[in-house]
Amino acid sequence: MPADPVTLPLIETRLETGERIVARFQTDLDLRLHFHKGLLVLTNRRLLYLEEKPEGAARFRDWKLGEIGNLSLEEMGATGVLHLTTTDPSAASRWRFTAGLIKEADTFLACFLNQRRTPAGVGTAAAPSTPDPNAEDEGLGFTELARPSARGNPLLRLLIFSKPWLGLIALGLALTVAATGVSLLTPWITGSLVDELLIPLQTKTEGLNVQRIIPYALLLLGTALLAWLLKWGRSFVVARIAELVTSRMRRALFEHLQRLSLIYFNKKRTGDLISRIGSDTDRISMFISLSFIDFVCDVFQFAFTALILFKIHPLLALAALGPVPIVAWLVKCVRGHLRSSFAASGRAWGMMLNVLADTIPGVRVVKAFAQEEREIERFRQADQHVFSTNDRVNRTWSFFSPMIEMFTDLGLLIIWVAGAWVVANGEIKVGILTCFVMYTSRFYGRVEAMSRFFAAAQRAAASAHRIFEVLDVEADMPTTEGTRRIGRLSGRLEFRDVRFRHGSREIIHGINLDIAPGEMIGLVGPSGSGKTTLVNLACRFFDVSEGAILVDGEDLRDIHVEDFRKNIGLVLQEPYLFFGTIADNISYGKPEAAREEIIAAAKAARAHEFIMKLVDGYDSMVGERGQQLSGGERQRISIARALLIDPAILILDEATSSVDTETEREIQRALDNLVHGRTTIAIAHRLGTLRLANRLVVLEDGRISEIGTHEQLLKTSGTYARLHQAMQEVSHA
Amino acid sequence: MNTPAIQINLHRAATGVLVFTDAAGVTYQNVLPVRLFPLTDPTHWIAISSAAGHDLACIEDLAALPGNIRDLLLEALADRDFVPLIQSIHAIRRAAHGYEWHVTTDRGKTHFTVENDESIQPLAGGSIVVMDHRNTRYLIHDPAALDAKSRQRLERYY
Repeated sequence: MPADPVTLPLIETRLETGERIVARFQTDLDLRLHFHKGLLVLTNRRLLYLEEKPEGAARFRDWKLGEIGNLSLEEMGATGVLHLTTTDPSAASRWRFTAGLIKEADTFLACFLNQRRTPAGVGTAAAPSTPDPNAEDEGLGFTELARPSARGNPLLRLLIFSKPWLGLIALGLALTVAATGVSLLTPWITGSLVDELLIPLQTKTEGLNVQRIIPYALLLLGTALLAWLLKWGRSFVVARIAELVTSRMRRALFEHLQRLSLIYFNKKRTGDLISRIGSDTDRISMFISLSFIDFVCDVFQFAFTALILFKIHPLLALAALGPVPIVAWLVKCVRGHLRSSFAASGRAWGMMLNVLADTIPGVRVVKAFAQEEREIERFRQADQHVFSTNDRVNRTWSFFSPMIEMFTDLGLLIIWVAGAWVVANGEIKVGILTCFVMYTSRFYGRVEAMSRFFAAAQRAAASAHRIFEVLDVEADMPTTEGTRRIGRLSGRLEFRDVRFRHGSREIIHGINLDIAPGEMIGLVGPSGSGKTTLVNLACRFFDVSEGAILVDGEDLRDIHVEDFRKNIGLVLQEPYLFFGTIADNISYGKPEAAREEIIAAAKAARAHEFIMKLVDGYDSMVGERGQQLSGGERQRISIARALLIDPAILILDEATSSVDTETEREIQRALDNLVHGRTTIAIAHRLGTLRLANRLVVLEDGRISEIGTHEQLLKTSGTYARLHQAMQEVSHA
Repeated sequence: MNTPAIQINLHRAATGVLVFTDAAGVTYQNVLPVRLFPLTDPTHWIAISSAAGHDLACIEDLAALPGNIRDLLLEALADRDFVPLIQSIHAIRRAAHGYEWHVTTDRGKTHFTVENDESIQPLAGGSIVVMDHRNTRYLIHDPAALDAKSRQRLERYY
């Protein structure tokens, strides 16, 4: 965070000659935890503190480095504290700040400790890591994941998605204009027909002349046919554009989701994401294919009819269009209201899908605890919410739509009254009046349609907003970040003072560990000690907050992510099988694998024989709604999957925890094949899984507490010995 | 990858069961040939399974076997395999639980009930497998090669 530009010069005026700024840290709370800015500055001689004052002079304090007893950092939930103890207890102080600044406070503290080690008065030539305001915007990604999408009107942004089809869109618009123009001819022809033929006929000034009727009839027929053709073309072209645009949106959304890190998916709920990809894009498709093109049509008709009306009789037109400003005002009032209602209805829909996405996969738990009624109630509430939000939209809408109709009737009434008077005065003929009335009723038809468009536009805008909200989340682990392409690794892994912070909580506190190629490391430790986090860091699902992980001597962050992941085999506690055949699932990481390789992998994973017994063999469908397989069988398929890609680095995350001991033995044999000759990190609660491990690493509270072989660790009688004893007691009980 | 003439020691005993002798000379009574990819590749990858379900041998290509052994295997496979090939679809009607399909297969005319959409699945290579409510599998090798009427009926449900 850059220091306040106002306070920094103030600090500089207070420096003594020869005094240099080493580090600075801006606090954002006061001791009562109210928002209040302050600036801590570390120089080569002193610690200075400058506090923002609402009126006038800033408060200033300073401590000589020699007087300072200790400076320490404490995390307190959503805030942090820097404690300062001094040789003179009355000079002690504390500073509070929000948790987002803890990392910077930590860096500041590191600078302080470093400065203290160097003799007083001597400036550290290379200040260890003066917080560089720019450096912190990169590679963090945790603090500002979901940026609110405030990048202009979401409907205008839809245009970006339409870009490849501008030609098609132009064609659609041309067809629309042509169709509108043709349909506007009808009243004109009708008016002429009345004045030239019907009125003279009625007033008996002329006899019936069929010859003169035929051209009118043909003209009317011709325009009808032409209008039909043009509208047909228009509808097709426009519907196609809508489908093209929304299909592109859906794909863009899904592609974007695939690029987002695990952290995003931990935060988001499945149902909501599905609703955004499914329903919201569909609403936009409806909007483009129906509402939008109608609107363009309407605007043309609206302008044309208004023009024609004024051409026929300006005064009459003025009278007829009298209610239009009122309608415009009504539309404006209703618009904002509809928009928020539609947004609420979209959210309610997403919430309802969340309930479904939660309950359907968890149906076993629901039934086991006999909580069907409760889930029904949960869904009822979600559905009730959908109902009431839609109801709110309808309430506004049902009031608004007839209102417009009423104004239409009012407009027509005005014309009939005013028209009768104008005709009586002999200013226009009856035919012209008929034509005028037809145009006016069309005009108001357009006004009504346009008002409907505003509702549709609000609904589409709400949907577009939900879509762009996902698209605007920046991929926090960009694959482009590391550019070095690599082939197969030898598998050396080095953790160099690795720290990892999630939010305000530091989960990994400085881990140093070298793993040789082909070595097997067993990670043990109580739950929550950071085992899985460490493994996730090694897979680069997350980036380290500080320190580095090196593979084959290169920083993990410099290596192309996909290339790196091709070197990693992952076997999880809960094996995930995709819907598809067993062969497809085994070859997931290497779709081009030959059948021979698939069978070899299955044999090595000791899955071959149970697959052989299935009716469809390797062609059996597994995954959701597929063949029922036991936990051990699923696990062995996932081991075969990891074996097939022949990874340099293998990660086993509690691979044997969810099965019985008999199956564990089977899996154990499969794992023995897998582990051979690979760098392996295995997490296990069952210590038997780790009997092949070269070294065991005991993690406690994000730190390594013990390293050694099974025998060595038993002798030290530390944490591992305790865990081992507990295991023995459980298995003998 | 065709290794010609693999040694597979297999014969039919007087009792009618298949007897397999492995490389070490151990004989196994009542062995079963099993297709590992019965739907996507029925002519390759045949495993010979012991009565207890252990894998004794794996044959990549039937064509590479001596004729008599191959015939023996095909005979045993034919005895166990039942995946009718659908040749034409006469009607698909709504039934109480799902849809009733009336079809002609390579094994004659039949009808069966398909419970839901997930019972019809595409396989690698463009063929489609249809599973009825009793878990019998029916295969459509190439949907495009069906006659026009059958194809139309299929398209309505798949």
